[in-house]
Amino acid sequence: MRWTGKIRFMLLAPAVIWVLAFTVFPLGYSLYLAFYKIEQKVEVTRVKEPILDAEGKPVLDDQGQPRIKTVVKKDQVNIATFIGIDNFKRLFGDPQVGEAIRVTALFVLIAVPLELIFGFLLAVLFNQHIFGRPVLRAIMILPIFATPLAVGYTFFTIFYEVGGPLAWTGIPFLSSPNGALASVILVDVWQWTPFCFLVFLAGLQGVPDELYEAARVDGASPWDMLKEVMLPLLVPTIIIVLLLRLAESLKLFDIPFSMTGGGPGVATQPFSLLAFRTGLRFFDLGYASAMAYALLIVVMIIITLFFRRMRFSYE
Amino acid sequence: MHPLKWSLFALPALALLATPAIAGQNVEWKDDGTVLIKLGEAYNNQVITTSREELGSEFGPDKQPFKDVTITVTVNGAGPKGGISGPLHQFRPVWEELSGGKVNIVELPFAEHYTKMMLDLRNGTGQYDAFMVGAFWYGDIVPAGYGYAIDELQKSGKYPKWTYDDMPPSLKALHQWKGVGYGVLNDGDGQVLYYRSDMLGNAEHQAAFKKEYGYDLPNPPQTWQQLLDISKYFNGKNWDAGDADPDSGTVLHLKVGEQGHYHFQSLSSSFVINPGDKVTRTQNVYWFDPEDMKPLINSPGHLKALEFLQELHKTGPAAQVGWSLGEAWDYFLRGKSVFVFSWGDVGALCQDESRSKIKGKCAAAMMPSSNEYYDFEKKEFVKLDKPRLVGNTTGGSWHGVVSNFSANPEATYSFLSLMAMRPVSKMMATVGWDGVDPGFSYQFLEEDGGTAKIEDYVKAGWDANDAKTYTHAYHEVFYAPTMLTYLRIPGSFEYWDILDKNLSATMSGGKSAKQALDDTATAWEGVTDRIGRDKQKADYQAAIGYTP
Repeated sequence: MRWTGKIRFMLLAPAVIWVLAFTVFPLGYSLYLAFYKIEQKVEVTRVKEPILDAEGKPVLDDQGQPRIKTVVKKDQVNIATFIGIDNFKRLFGDPQVGEAIRVTALFVLIAVPLELIFGFLLAVLFNQHIFGRPVLRAIMILPIFATPLAVGYTFFTIFYEVGGPLAWTGIPFLSSPNGALASVILVDVWQWTPFCFLVFLAGLQGVPDELYEAARVDGASPWDMLKEVMLPLLVPTIIIVLLLRLAESLKLFDIPFSMTGGGPGVATQPFSLLAFRTGLRFFDLGYASAMAYALLIVVMIIITLFFRRMRFSYE
Repeated sequence: MHPLKWSLFALPALALLATPAIAGQNVEWKDDGTVLIKLGEAYNNQVITTSREELGSEFGPDKQPFKDVTITVTVNGAGPKGGISGPLHQFRPVWEELSGGKVNIVELPFAEHYTKMMLDLRNGTGQYDAFMVGAFWYGDIVPAGYGYAIDELQKSGKYPKWTYDDMPPSLKALHQWKGVGYGVLNDGDGQVLYYRSDMLGNAEHQAAFKKEYGYDLPNPPQTWQQLLDISKYFNGKNWDAGDADPDSGTVLHLKVGEQGHYHFQSLSSSFVINPGDKVTRTQNVYWFDPEDMKPLINSPGHLKALEFLQELHKTGPAAQVGWSLGEAWDYFLRGKSVFVFSWGDVGALCQDESRSKIKGKCAAAMMPSSNEYYDFEKKEFVKLDKPRLVGNTTGGSWHGVVSNFSANPEATYSFLSLMAMRPVSKMMATVGWDGVDPGFSYQFLEEDGGTAKIEDYVKAGWDANDAKTYTHAYHEVFYAPTMLTYLRIPGSFEYWDILDKNLSATMSGGKSAKQALDDTATAWEGVTDRIGRDKQKADYQAAIGYTP
């Protein structure tokens, strides 16, 4: 049976509508917001009307009087003024933006490599025949399934400095700027190392045994096998994991939001949290949209560069 | 049958005859016109006596004026037995029985409440009928037309009765905008100093303090400088027998986003505010220059106050940089610090022996004063011979405001007003967990010009001395001749958030005091320019009563 164009269109329509409504429209609208200043004015009028039943007759109260409802009529006017690239220009002179970029960059540069390194080492370990491997592997990946927001609140109690389970260490987990940032990194590493581990393990288990045997016959040491067999074969996997973690880390939000509130000061306020606060706490929507687009551009540049590099490596 | 046996039947029968015409589960209508409101376990099954007159003409034993009406109220999330949200939960069944309507209580985390409210109001969805707001949100609600003026409803006599006249002028101003009422009386916020009366009155500590500092231990301290000395004296010593750990001088709550900046506001007011009979460009101003909206927040007075706060912070636990209200209060309630300066909740919580070890030792006083202030006119510090106490209404004075998009403003107002009636409000202020703090004439003692009696507090479980100092401190703080002006202009929340972050950075060692205040001033300029300098100036002048 050949499907006509109409049927194809109908089958595709839900997906197309979904993408248009929930991806393209918000993207377009936020771009519009970034270039306009929106002012709202509202006029409210109230009209008292009798409540009617299904037959259109007035509903009466206990005293036999018609029951009345209030209908609120809103006359809302949005005045949009084109302001060009003012919101984007603001980004360059805003000290909060500079600080948020610093926090985000530090986070990404420390957390992502740690997650990859630990994930890889664990994958190598679990690629051996160790006792209780299936059970340990299942336990290892549990953090991935936790909601980051809940993770943040949980670690807030763990890092609680007076009476918390780690209070005896005397480490200022949340009360010093560096300590708080280190705590956020630690929690992220705890949560996302298992993801790296899982993907690397899958990659390692896909390496044919013959290659290891051949290396062993050639007298390769375990270090040589790691360097010459495992790593080269895992490079595509590592790049994909790195890309995914980079993109996610640049959008860091939940853990600092719930664990530190971005503080002390702004020591753990990443770029996404700043954009969220600017837009949805102070309703400076245009500026927040400009921030979001700036982040999007940075992420896109990084990803494009990575893909180029990857393509170059394989050509 | 033995005559005594008759009485076994007769007594209950007589009791039935004497019972009211209608006795509901939560409300009992007596024949003599009194009405009993029965509360649940959270309020120890208390029964509040009011009258039909006070409940308003809409409610009655045979009336259900809002049958099938559902209203939705938002509040900072703290649960059915939490601050501000608790009373809504406890009075919900009462109102539902009186009105025939339903109440939805939407609890939102403090950090999200404002956002959700503003989204609803800006989009005009009318999802919520009322919001339990902080007074600092008024600048974003009322000028934009999002608030419902309640004066007509209040005057109508149809709904539970209360009056703005019970409020000190300082609190009344927070519930109105340009003379029009929007807020329904609920909570009175202002910060006072709580101190351990047993420690400051201890002869051994007094002698040791005098030996170390060369002057008598002031009980309570009158100046911030005295308070710092006392804090330093007690900090690090194990003066409280509760545990083996060293104790602290002053505990603060400084977590970013958790109202830590209020400490700075209350403390710095006496370093900054220039006294005077009226508001001028240099007198009774704190936030901005009312002529050009240039921030005053990085003035030498503010700077000195922040440097002082840094010193004071060292006399408390280092972890307090990450502490919210609850943690700091609990530290004081567990007897771990000599001082805390905070809201009325602390005084009431001191009386709750399930949480407090210091009932009867928890005295309160007006906030101390600095022994010098920065003169904006002369551009120099002025030394004071005697303390000049500055009052404050620091905080939110959390209360209900009806949304202008509500389809049921009358029903919503009647619910909020139920909790604003004198006997209800009076009872709520004596309870610690409900977050409703005193500030109204009937909560002050007769010696302070109020109508409450010390017995009312003792009956509610208070220590008499704690209650006396507490109510007196609140009377002083709300009726002080010099007051910290309240910031109530569009963007107040944002101005304060910027200040909060910079203060937090200072307290955690991330920035110097000067850098933090300069950064705050720069960022405030950005906010003012964005919202519109002239518009902000007009609103600010109106808010502080400045006439150019």
